[in-house]
Amino acid sequence: MEVKNKILDKSFLKKILSSKGAYLLLLPGMGLFFTFILFPLIYSLRMSFYKWNIVDIGASKFIGFSNYVRVINDPIFIRATLNTIVYTLITVPGQILFALVVAILLNQKIKGRTFFRVAYYIPVITSWVVVTFLFEYFFGSQAGLVNFILKDILHLVDKKIMWLTDPILVMIPLNLLGIWKGVGWSAIILLAALQNIPLDLYEAATIDGAGIWHKITKITLPLIRPTLVFLVVVLVIGGFNVYVSGLLMTKGGNPLDLSHFILTLMYKKTFTNLDFGYGSAISYLLAAFIFMVSVIEIKLLRRKVEY
Amino acid sequence: MKRLSIFLIVIMLITGMTLGGVAEEKKVVTYWHTMGDAEEEALIKVIEMFEDQYPNIKIKPTRMAYDDFKPALLIGIAGGVVPDTARLDIIWVPEFAEIGALVALDEEMEGFDEIIANTYPGPTSTNFWKGHYYGLPQDTNTQVLVWNKQMFEEAGLSGPPETIDEFVKYAAVLSNPDEEIYGYTMGGTYFWAPASIFYAMGGEVTDSEITTATGYINGEKSVAAYQVLVDMYRDESLSPLLLGGGGIGAFEGLATGKYAMIIEGPWAHPILKSDYPEFEVNFALVPRGPDVTTSSVVGGQNVVIFEGSQHKDEAMLWAKFLLSEEAQLTIGETGAIPTLSTVQGNERLPEYYDVFMEQLKTAKARVPHPKWAEMDNAINNAYQYMLRDEKTVQQALDDAAEEINRLIIEE
Amino acid sequence: MLTTKEERIFRNISYILLICGVVITLVPFIYMISASFKSQIYTFEYPPRLIPRDPTLENYIKALGKDLFGRNLLNSFFVATATTISTVFISSLMAYAFSRMQFPGKEVFFYILLLGMMIPPVMLIIPQFIIAKNLHLLDSLWGLIVVYVSVTLSMQTFLLRSFFETIPRELEEAVLVDGGTRWDIFRKIILPLSKPGLAVVAIFTFLYAWDEFPWAHVAIREGSRRTLPVAIALFQSQYLTQWGLLFAATTVASIPAVIVFVIFQRYFIQGVVTSGLK
Repeated sequence: MEVKNKILDKSFLKKILSSKGAYLLLLPGMGLFFTFILFPLIYSLRMSFYKWNIVDIGASKFIGFSNYVRVINDPIFIRATLNTIVYTLITVPGQILFALVVAILLNQKIKGRTFFRVAYYIPVITSWVVVTFLFEYFFGSQAGLVNFILKDILHLVDKKIMWLTDPILVMIPLNLLGIWKGVGWSAIILLAALQNIPLDLYEAATIDGAGIWHKITKITLPLIRPTLVFLVVVLVIGGFNVYVSGLLMTKGGNPLDLSHFILTLMYKKTFTNLDFGYGSAISYLLAAFIFMVSVIEIKLLRRKVEY
Repeated sequence: MKRLSIFLIVIMLITGMTLGGVAEEKKVVTYWHTMGDAEEEALIKVIEMFEDQYPNIKIKPTRMAYDDFKPALLIGIAGGVVPDTARLDIIWVPEFAEIGALVALDEEMEGFDEIIANTYPGPTSTNFWKGHYYGLPQDTNTQVLVWNKQMFEEAGLSGPPETIDEFVKYAAVLSNPDEEIYGYTMGGTYFWAPASIFYAMGGEVTDSEITTATGYINGEKSVAAYQVLVDMYRDESLSPLLLGGGGIGAFEGLATGKYAMIIEGPWAHPILKSDYPEFEVNFALVPRGPDVTTSSVVGGQNVVIFEGSQHKDEAMLWAKFLLSEEAQLTIGETGAIPTLSTVQGNERLPEYYDVFMEQLKTAKARVPHPKWAEMDNAINNAYQYMLRDEKTVQQALDDAAEEINRLIIEE
Repeated sequence: MLTTKEERIFRNISYILLICGVVITLVPFIYMISASFKSQIYTFEYPPRLIPRDPTLENYIKALGKDLFGRNLLNSFFVATATTISTVFISSLMAYAFSRMQFPGKEVFFYILLLGMMIPPVMLIIPQFIIAKNLHLLDSLWGLIVVYVSVTLSMQTFLLRSFFETIPRELEEAVLVDGGTRWDIFRKIILPLSKPGLAVVAIFTFLYAWDEFPWAHVAIREGSRRTLPVAIALFQSQYLTQWGLLFAATTVASIPAVIVFVIFQRYFIQGVVTSGLK
């Protein structure tokens, strides 16, 4: 099956012909992918270099990198990028940490395991739209549960906090939402990874007199490393792509465009201000940024790239 | 036997052919809207009437989610898939006209001038951009004071305030911030919310030719208007709901005794009646400012025809029909005020319309400019700065004026 | 891992912690369900009550009674199921090729596919719309399915591929030795052993298609062909959000998703276990 090292005698064409089975398998999927993902991606790139006119596309004005320059210099974009980075820095470790705890706890023979699994997974199943509404309802200033608990039950504050109207405070429900929604997903994946660790390793450690902490740091963590790397990469991508929750909760960067995420800003510029080329430029910068970060992560965190 | 069957087959063929011949293709006109439940029911009736009159045309309405309506339209335009007609917010018409998406009705539509001779000038003017009319005013509205009689009586007040001074005083009396009861509440800081008071105090955003905002949005009267609101906010007679934050909604609060006054449009009536049937709905004109009679802001929707439509002629028939007396009255019964002046006072229209019609006489329209969305944003930000005490009212409005001037020039 | 006594203590603490965690996790939902049984006046009552004062079914009756709700539910079900079946099929073909076969351009294709996972779908909506229109895929449930499959293909192929990697090659070689074809391998070895992995893909895909909103709202305008998320969004009108109705409709909409998960979660856990995700 390994044809790789016979490059010199086989001509390239012959190789392609002999791989027709593989290409056949790839055809439907790649066909769809090229049509609906790759081509639109290139189209979008093109849009970003123009002052795009959607009614009469031919009348669009070519302006080169002008959109990109404007984006980078826009203080609103800079703030949005900051918010997005902070969001990622908080939610990714948050999800992984809590997920790890949950996974370790669930990795025992306890009753009601299925119940717990399903319960922790429910936030993952529910749509972003719904959970954002729920958190808005919770953190609402007048009748929200959170304020009720903080003020009337725990007496930690004497006035209700206006969570959703403060550009910095609003990040709290948004970040909490991000963590809350993702923990279940990571937990299940980590749980699986934990189950792959042979029990005798732990037994041997016990015999050597090791305590729990030692076992966790010297056995558990190293052995689930590939999974952790996978989680970090995927969750970071998700973090930078935060969108629906921001859109609904900040309603367009409320207030004063200070609480935008990169994608909510892109949405506003495209659909409210009708600046399609500009919006396209923003999303391209984001995509490029995500790509770079992912590549760096993979190179740094993994000792070998396995394909 | 054989002859009979041949006879039958021939009959069937002939019938089939004639039927095929008679059944012409019906032209379909699509119509996008964001109507609520009650209006939608009325719309169905209007469609039936139209299809009776024009049996060869079929109207296909599609209800869209309000929050996503504009993006959906834009994506449709970008993809070349536009509805034939739609009911757009009056504010969007200049924008869509500017990008060339709409048909100039004054040029293309037969009898256009006769129709607008009978519609109220205010709403009609919102269709005008760069010399042409790009739509017909389908319905209009304005906002008036809605007040909670019970709360007034309990506070010893006999009736609604008639001047702004009374308004401020009453609001203070009716407020009890510790209980989170407020004399007045506003849904947000976007311009539509304070607009009624703004215009009632003589405020202006730009000059009538839309050449500059300096001296208008930051002029004396505009500043005074916003100052009143900011003072009320500091005095805690204006609810902090306006900053956003998921507080109790205007309608819920009014009906449950949390807010004594709100300023809302005619939709308030059906909404309050259906969700809070026990509550007594009372309307009053917007309190008047120092040297103004009374005023408010004009809202509403226009029916437009898209350039990409394949059935422009049929679409125009539909648009015209929506402006007929029968259509205006049918939909008018459900909370959308007609723009046809000839039906004013008609007994089919709900009584509570009277106060709105009265208010409409002096209500003002917002700036009909494609960049209005960004101008609104500038004024919105100004309001936020004022409320958060980061700028004085004058400063904030000066900055807004600069921003609006910049947007006007960008044209 | 621990001594029996330690084990017991640890287990008890675990229970307590897990239950606390579940409470935090589920509280928003319990709240939502509770709100769905309250009439409008009580939606914003303060202090917030968990048990409704005057529980009522009016929200459910109104929401479910809305003309097309049932129809929209069925549409969503159809779209989600079809998308899932198509995606499972197509992505397993691709995953198999990437995992088991060698061909020129393999790395390139794979990286391009991976790119698909990193892109925010919202940025592609305009060009996707134009293409869909040219292919006559608009206003049709099939059009929805085609686009959904395209969008989720990257992730699912990636998952399945890493899953296939864990199936021992010796099994396949045994089949070849016995004179079987590649198709036999696929049928007799790969598919049966992949049940867990396929379950993972099935769940993720179903949930994605079930909840998707932005594309569904734009691509389908005919009321009777709309999907559930769009129908629910219509409870927010220009002037008012009818929270009670919204929550009732959402509760109902969540039920199938939960059921699908509960059914598949058995294979799902197993699937993630074996895939190792390296």
